[in-house]
Amino acid sequence: MAATTGGFAGKVLRVDLSTGKISTQDTREKYGDVLGGTGLGYQVLWEEVPPGTGPFDSANKLVFATGVLAGTGVPCNGRTAVTTIFPTCWPKPLVGSGHMGGNFAAKLKYAGYDALIVEGRADRPVWLFIRDARVELRDASHLWGSGIRRTNLEISQEMGADCSVAAIGQAGERLAPMAIVANSLSHSAGGVGGVMGSKNLKAVGVQGSGAVRIAGDKGEWEKLIKFHLSILGGNNQHVVPSFPTPQSEYYNPASRWVGEPGRRWGAAEPPVEITGNIFDLNRIAYRTNSAAFFLGEGAWKHTVRGNGCTACPIRCHTVIKVPSVAAKYGIHETAQNTCSGLNFGRAFFKALPGGFKGPTALEACMVGMHLADDLGLWCNYGQLQRDFLKLQREGLLKAKLGATEYASIAWDKFESGDPTFLFDILPRIGERRGELGQVLSQGTAGLFRHWSMQEDDWGRDHAARYWKMGHPKHHSSEDDGQCGVIINTQYNRDAQCHSHTNFVRNGLPLSVQKRLAAEIWGSPDAVDGAGDYTPMNLHKARRARWSLVRKELHDSLGLCNWMGPWVASPLKERGYRGDDSLESRFYSLATGRKLDREGLDRMGERIFTLHRALTMRDMGQLDMRAHHDLAPAWVFKDQNGAAPFTKGTIRMDRDDISRAMDLFYEVMGWDKATGAPTAEAYARLGLKEVGKAMHAQKLMPGDAA
Amino acid sequence: MSPEEQARLTEAATEVVLQASREGRLTSRKDVLEALVADGYFHQAAGHVDTDNARQTPTEEEAAIALAGILAGHPGLASFEGLSGETVYHAPDLLSRTFARILDRKGSPLLLMAEEIRANSRDYPRPVPVELFEAPPFALAPEEIGHVLHAMAADPGYQDISFTTAPTGAVYLFSTLHLERGYAAFLALRAESLSENP
Ligand code: SF4
Repeated sequence: MAATTGGFAGKVLRVDLSTGKISTQDTREKYGDVLGGTGLGYQVLWEEVPPGTGPFDSANKLVFATGVLAGTGVPCNGRTAVTTIFPTCWPKPLVGSGHMGGNFAAKLKYAGYDALIVEGRADRPVWLFIRDARVELRDASHLWGSGIRRTNLEISQEMGADCSVAAIGQAGERLAPMAIVANSLSHSAGGVGGVMGSKNLKAVGVQGSGAVRIAGDKGEWEKLIKFHLSILGGNNQHVVPSFPTPQSEYYNPASRWVGEPGRRWGAAEPPVEITGNIFDLNRIAYRTNSAAFFLGEGAWKHTVRGNGCTACPIRCHTVIKVPSVAAKYGIHETAQNTCSGLNFGRAFFKALPGGFKGPTALEACMVGMHLADDLGLWCNYGQLQRDFLKLQREGLLKAKLGATEYASIAWDKFESGDPTFLFDILPRIGERRGELGQVLSQGTAGLFRHWSMQEDDWGRDHAARYWKMGHPKHHSSEDDGQCGVIINTQYNRDAQCHSHTNFVRNGLPLSVQKRLAAEIWGSPDAVDGAGDYTPMNLHKARRARWSLVRKELHDSLGLCNWMGPWVASPLKERGYRGDDSLESRFYSLATGRKLDREGLDRMGERIFTLHRALTMRDMGQLDMRAHHDLAPAWVFKDQNGAAPFTKGTIRMDRDDISRAMDLFYEVMGWDKATGAPTAEAYARLGLKEVGKAMHAQKLMPGDAA
Repeated sequence: MSPEEQARLTEAATEVVLQASREGRLTSRKDVLEALVADGYFHQAAGHVDTDNARQTPTEEEAAIALAGILAGHPGLASFEGLSGETVYHAPDLLSRTFARILDRKGSPLLLMAEEIRANSRDYPRPVPVELFEAPPFALAPEEIGHVLHAMAADPGYQDISFTTAPTGAVYLFSTLHLERGYAAFLALRAESLSENP
């Protein structure tokens, strides 16, 4: 391997909006040990943002950070982590990050920057122009008040078509905590748009003419990419198709690998028929159709193609074209998104004519995307809609809103499942109109803060799927028993971790999953069948640790944790094994710094531990076990009264979860009593200085309160 | 048959099975023989003497006897007793065991559905949505699926095949030999909720 370095673009760009000062730093020297992405964001916040800083204070910083592998040819790269003091946290803002794909990360790196740190506050609306070394703050007063689409268009016209624009809409301008920043039409980072708005920063436009250097041997690099492609499945690394094929022993009707020969992208011009062998590497992009998976079979005829992040063959942002919506709703006939973005509109209804996969639901989704992706409104992983439905169902909106405001809402359209209801409700929230808009645009925290609703009530309600700190569950016990619970206790927003769920939902039979689990985590008992959970064991704790570490690794390398890690594959000849060392092999070749799997995982653990320290410092809390690592009451209750560990329940047992936390803290090398990292853990991870600072603040296990 | 003859026959017969697997077909010994005949394997070879090795291609009768052993011993091929009672062959790398079984049972929708439901309940484990059987490779018409389900309900050999209806109205089929009713209902509900749990 060559001794030169690569992977990193080399510089971090720093823009102080208060003073207009623009400067750069050497990435490797300053941030090389945290890779980029969330790691870089956490480090900036740790070093530069004092505890107690509010999300909209000018002292808060907004860190757009890509990673070492972003902008390279590694499949599923192109992710940007946007880290800041997160505004939707309850009861107080703490560190959090939103994650966007698209092509922003690659463009930023081609311009020569691994990250952009935004500081201070401009005294008037501005947007940031980045063209290689030329970086300017430009007036954005003509853009202020515009939606994301127009902003994107205007800046693209000014810069040229090959730029990438990350912009906020009206929600961000009005400092809605529930606001996104988005690039490439649908690639959004939730919760951080209002922070951008508070800084009077409407958008960042970036254009780069450079490239990302790869330090290692080109042949080896190409070979590894080809191997990576060979172990890809469909979206979320579902490694078996949803239908039986001659090539695979397994299939899973619930798989996101829905594309098969004979299916058509019916709205492409001309329509594209999927032919040939769907296992062929040149057919990967045909496997995923998020619209068909989420909205039903009917979406095939509206499919134009898949869109996605840099170098990702999965292309999970499906483009759909529904000509009838143009005349019916006066909106554009095409839209694109994935997962929650696709679901945005229909999820506001308790019922829709024809059901949730019928034509009206499709129209509601089109209207939802049209509005939310332009206003720049976030759904908090569907919690906005669930909160709205709960408030409406339980008469709480009627009780809390003034009679005039309540009566002004088009409830008849809501009741009849008319998608035009969204033209009423979404701008109210996105533009923060009325009390409803003011409160709901703050997320669930707004309900607790302004309407004195009790967090415990939300935590008891199975349908609300609320977890803690203002955010919902994100693949918890319903998918992965104790592993899911542990993972959901660790963050200050929803966990956004897919390492665990990509494995348990991969579609392989339980016996194969258990065989792989034995190889990776030391025992087949590291994984259970969904809803057939066994008591906690050490191997599950190891898997939870691995999942979290890999999540942080991906977020810091610029890879997609909605796809990785790739520890299972569609390859029968490999016994359906993936490769647990893929990330470290790519890192080693890209940077020229050889690191094995354990070495790179240690970096992931360092990043995760830094997040922990930052959270503890800003909470001023040593006893994380009692005050942070919590699970809601619904986790411990079955709606039909089933006992924990009986088949068909996701109910967990309190003592068992307590043991799960013991084991998790143990494998992390943290103090069992408090869940706080120990001095040894900080030292082992190269965070001695962080440890010292924690000790100075009496936040180290053993420190007297 | 000399080792050389055996090797030539093995190569030719294997190619017939591989080709059928590539084309998504199962092959019986009779099919192999017919393909060899059609290819002129015996015709070309009749009386043909390889002067170097002084060997002769086997006759059709000799080949028929040898084929069972040849195909059964081939590491790249798999076989099972098909519904017709004949042994059928396929190359699992090209035509998976699961798919091969589906192809074999296509003539018997009752068995096709029942065995697929049982395998899913046993191996994954999960109930399967009834619509699974409308799509390829099953490709059964909805009315046919309805008839099959009625027939199963009346047949003592299929009393383990049951169904559960998710709150969405979707019907999921499972085998009580491998899945408890309550667990099947849980798994059906979970499958239905996946598109709202991204
Ligand atoms: S799977 Fe989707 S979100 Fe992830 S990198 Fe690919 S296109 Fe982007």
